[in-house]
Amino acid sequence: MDLGYLSVQLFNGLVNGAFYALLSLGLAIIFGVLGVVNFAHGAVYMLGAFAAYLLLQQVGIGFWPALLLAPLGVALLGVIVERLLLRRVYGLDPLYGFLLTYGLTLFIQDAMRLRFGIQGQPYPTPTELSASVSLGVVGYPVYRLFVIAFSIAMCAAVWFLIERTRLGMVVRAATERGELTRALGIDVDRWVTAVFAFGIALAALAGVLAAPMRNVAPLMGSELIILTFAVVVIGGMGSIVGAVAAGFLIGALASLGAVWSPALENVIVFALMAVVLLVRPAGLFGAREAT
Amino acid sequence: MRRRDLAFLALGIVVALALPRVLYSALALRILLWALFAVSVDLLLGYGGMLSFGHAAFWGGGGYAAALLAKTFELPFPLAALGGIACAMLLAAPIGYLAIRRRGIYLAMVTLAFAQMLFYVANEWRGLTGGENGVQGVPKILPGLSVGRTADFYYAALPLVLVGLFVAYRIVHSPFGHVLVSIRDNEARAQALGYPTQRYKLIAFVLSGGIAGLAGSLYAIGNSFASLDLLHWTTSGSAVLMTVLGGMGTLWGGAVGAAIVLLLEDSLSSVTEAPGVVTGAILIAIVLGFRRGLLPEAGRAIEWVALRRRGG
Amino acid sequence: MKRVIALAMVAAVMAAACGAAAPSGGGAPATAVKLTSGKLVMGVINDQSGVYADLSGKNAVEAVKMAVEDFKAKYGDNALGGQIEVITADHQNKPDVASSKAQEFYERNNASVIFDVPTSSAALAIAKVAGDQKRLYINITAATTDLTGASCNKYTFHYAYDTYMLAAGTGKWVTENLGKQWYIIYPNYAFGQDMEKSFRSAVTKFGGNVIQSDGSPFPNQTGDFSQLLLKAGQLKPQVLGAMQAGGDLVNVVKQYNEFKLKDQGIKLAIGLLFDTDITAIGQDNMAGVVYTTPWVWSMDDQAKSFADKFLKRTGIRPTFAHAANYSAAWQYMEAIRRAGTDDADAVVKQLEGYKFNDFFIRNGQIRAEDHWVMHDALLAQVKPSSEAKEKFDYSKVLGTIPADTASRPLADANCKK
Repeated sequence: MDLGYLSVQLFNGLVNGAFYALLSLGLAIIFGVLGVVNFAHGAVYMLGAFAAYLLLQQVGIGFWPALLLAPLGVALLGVIVERLLLRRVYGLDPLYGFLLTYGLTLFIQDAMRLRFGIQGQPYPTPTELSASVSLGVVGYPVYRLFVIAFSIAMCAAVWFLIERTRLGMVVRAATERGELTRALGIDVDRWVTAVFAFGIALAALAGVLAAPMRNVAPLMGSELIILTFAVVVIGGMGSIVGAVAAGFLIGALASLGAVWSPALENVIVFALMAVVLLVRPAGLFGAREAT
Repeated sequence: MRRRDLAFLALGIVVALALPRVLYSALALRILLWALFAVSVDLLLGYGGMLSFGHAAFWGGGGYAAALLAKTFELPFPLAALGGIACAMLLAAPIGYLAIRRRGIYLAMVTLAFAQMLFYVANEWRGLTGGENGVQGVPKILPGLSVGRTADFYYAALPLVLVGLFVAYRIVHSPFGHVLVSIRDNEARAQALGYPTQRYKLIAFVLSGGIAGLAGSLYAIGNSFASLDLLHWTTSGSAVLMTVLGGMGTLWGGAVGAAIVLLLEDSLSSVTEAPGVVTGAILIAIVLGFRRGLLPEAGRAIEWVALRRRGG
Repeated sequence: MKRVIALAMVAAVMAAACGAAAPSGGGAPATAVKLTSGKLVMGVINDQSGVYADLSGKNAVEAVKMAVEDFKAKYGDNALGGQIEVITADHQNKPDVASSKAQEFYERNNASVIFDVPTSSAALAIAKVAGDQKRLYINITAATTDLTGASCNKYTFHYAYDTYMLAAGTGKWVTENLGKQWYIIYPNYAFGQDMEKSFRSAVTKFGGNVIQSDGSPFPNQTGDFSQLLLKAGQLKPQVLGAMQAGGDLVNVVKQYNEFKLKDQGIKLAIGLLFDTDITAIGQDNMAGVVYTTPWVWSMDDQAKSFADKFLKRTGIRPTFAHAANYSAAWQYMEAIRRAGTDDADAVVKQLEGYKFNDFFIRNGQIRAEDHWVMHDALLAQVKPSSEAKEKFDYSKVLGTIPADTASRPLADANCKK
C-alpha cells in the first residue's frame, strides 16, 4: 500500500471529518449554552442542503451566495422553533430536550419526504471548483480540498469568536454561571436564542457544503447524527476544541481504518468511543459533565 | 399488594386475555411484547433514572439468540427464550458497565451508540444473522401443544410475559428497588450512606436488559423470524416513546403507551400519508403538554373529577 | 381496521362505477366464476413512506386498481362473479409489520392474494405467512432469489425481476461490448452480496475478469464512497460495476462524476436502476450508463399506451414496479376466470406452467417448479437529455435478453415445495 494512495485516502477522511467537526461544534455550542442535546441536528444539516437546492432551483441563486443565505434561512427557522418549543424545556432534565428534538426530527424528515419524495434532488458542483488536482497517482476533486480548507477556517473563526471576543465571554459566562450572570443584569435569554441560531447555522452550513457531494434527500442526516453523538462523546461535550479536534481526528482514523479493513468502517467510530469511555470517561478534551 | 394494585392486575389480565379477540392476533401479540419491552425501559428510566436509548440491543440480542436456538436445536420456545434472556444479559453487562461511567444524557448517547454498533456487527456477520434477510423459518415449538397459529402462540407466551412483568414489579417493590430510587433521586447521598451505587446501577441495567431480552425472544419466535430491525436505533426510540407517553416511573405506563403507539401505527398508514409527521407531532405534544405521561395525567384527571364531585 | 375496509369499499364502489361507465366487452368465461366468499379481496403491501415509496408505494396500489377497472371494462362488472376490492397497507420496510399486516389481510379481510412487497426481509416474512395460510402471494418488488429458492412454497410467486436476471443481462452485455476487466463495488448486505455473486459469475462466464470486488458499509452512515472510487481510479478497470441502490446509488454516481472516472476510461455499469434514481441524479449525469431492467415504458407502443394511461392518472411515468403490479393483478384475475374460482389451490394450478404475453411480460412462462415467472429482460442505456423526446424519456433499449438467459437455472434454485 503506497504512501501516496494512503495520503489521498487521508484527505477523504478529512472531508468526512470536516462534517463531523462542523456538526459536533454546533451540537456542543447548543448544549453548552442551552443544556439541550439537539437530536434534530442531522435534520438541520439536511435542511441546509435543501435550502441550497431550493435557492438554486427556485431563485437561481448559486453555491457561493447559498453558503451565506441557506444557513441564515435555516437559522431563522431555528429561532422560531426555539422560541415556540425549545424554551419550554430549558429548566428540565436534558432528557426532555432530547425527546423533544427527537420528535422534531421525525416531523421534519417526514414532512420533507412528503414534499420532495425520498429519492433526492440533484445539485451540481460549483463550476469554479469542479476541476481536479493531480495528487500523485490520482486526480483529486478540488471541491473536496475546498471543503477541508473552508471548514477549518470556519472552526477557527468560531473558536476565535468564543475565546477571544466579548460576545464569546458573555456566552461562556451564561453557560457556566447562568444565574450570576443574570443577576449582574446581563440579558442572557437574548443571547440564548442567538447562540442556538448560530449552532443551527453551522449545521446548515455543513449541509450546503455537502450538497454537491452527497445525495440531497430527506434522510441524509439520519444516520450521521448518531455518528455525531459518538464524536461528541469522544471529544467531550462542552469543549469547542474537543468537538473540532475529535471530528477531524475521527474522520481521518475511520477512513484509514477502512482502508485496512473495509468491513470495520461502520463500527470503528463506536469502537473508538468504547475505548475512550474506558480510558477517559469525560472525553479526550472533556471538561464538564451533565448533571 | 394494595387493593388498587390488585384491581389493576385483574383488569390487566382480563385485557390481556381478551386482546386477540378484540384485535387481530398478530397485532395483539405485538402489543403484548412491546408492552413488556417498554416496562423494561421504564424500570431503568423511571426507577433508575437512566435513559437507555439503545435498549434494542437487548431486545434484538435476545431475539436473535432465541431465534437461532429455536431453529438450530428445535428447542421449545420457553427454553429458547431462556437462552435469549441469557444473551441479552451478557450484552447488558459490558454495555451497562461502560454506559454508567457517564450520567444523564451522555449515558443515553452512549447506549445509543453501542446499540448501533451491535446493529452493524449483526449486519456484517451475515453467516450467523442472515444479514438483511434475517433468520427465517424460526419454529414455534411447545411439546404436546400446537402453537403455530399466532393466536395459540399468544396464549402460550402470555404466562412468560406475566412472569416478566411480575419480575419487574418485584424489583421495583423491593429493598433493591428502593435503593435504586434513592440513587436516582440523589446519588451522592446514597453513596454517603454507604451504598455501592455503581453496582446497583449495573445490576438494574442487566436486569432491565434481561426483561427486554425475554420480550425480544418471544417476539422473534412469534414472528417466525429475527431481522435487523430488532436492533435498529429507531426501535429503541419507539420503546422510549411508549414509556414517556404512558408515564415514566409508573411501570405500567409503558404498556399503555405500547398499545396506543401500535394501534396508532396500525391505523395511521391508511389515514395519513405521513406517519412520521404525526408521530413526531405527538411526541412533541407529549413533551410539552403531558410530560408526566398519560397514566399519571389520567390519574390526576380522575382524582380531579372525584374531588369535584366530593367537594360539590 | 374499519377505516381500511371503509376506504377500500369506497374504492371498490368507485372502481365499479368506472367499470360500469365503459362498455363491457369480452366473452364470459366458459363456466361462471364462483368466489369462495362472494367477493374478491386483493391486498397490496409495500413501503409507502420510506425508501421505496416513490418507485412502488401508493402508485403501485393505483396500478392494481387500474387493472381492476380495466378488467371490469373488458369483461363486465360481474367478471369474477362478485365485487373486487383492493386493500393496502404500509409495511414501513419492517418485516414484523409486514408479517402482521399479511396475517391481518388473509385472516381478517379474507384477502385471496397479496402483491408487491419490497425489502427482502419483509418479502420473505410474507412468503412464510402465505405458505402457512395457504393463500396466494405474488411478490414483485423484492430482488432476493430466496423467494424462489430457500423460502419458496406452493403459494408464493416471484414476478418481475431478481438479482440473477440483473446480473445475467448487464454482466453479459457489458463484458462482451464495453470491457472485460471489472471492479465491483456493492453494498454490504444480502441484496448487494447476492448481486456481487451473480455479477461475478456472469462476468466470468462471458469471458471477463473481476479484478476485485469491495463492499461498502450498509447502511451507509456518511454517504461517502470516495474511498472505493479512489481505489477504482488506482486499479483502472475497464468497467466499474456498482450494485448500490436508491440513495446510495445517487451518491456513488455523483462521486463517480466528481472523481472524473469516466474521463479515465472507466465505464459505469449499474446493477439495479429505477427511473426515480435517474430523476434524483439528473439524466445528463448518468448518460451512457448501462443497466438491465424488465421493462422500459417507452420500449414499444403497447408499453407506451399503458404508460400514457398511468401518466394521466398519477402524473408520472411508471417504473417497472408499477407496471408489474398491474400486469400481475391482471394475470391473477385471468387465472381466476380460467379456474372458475379464487380458491388458492385451483388458481395455483392455473398459474403453474402458464405461458403468456402482455405489455409488461414478453415470452412469459410461470415455472411450476419454483414459481419464478420467466420472461425477457432488456438491456437499457440512459440517454442524454438532448435525445429525450419528453420529460421522463430517460432510456433507450440496446437489446433483449431472452427469458432463458435471464432466469436462474432450476438446478441452482434449491426449491423444495
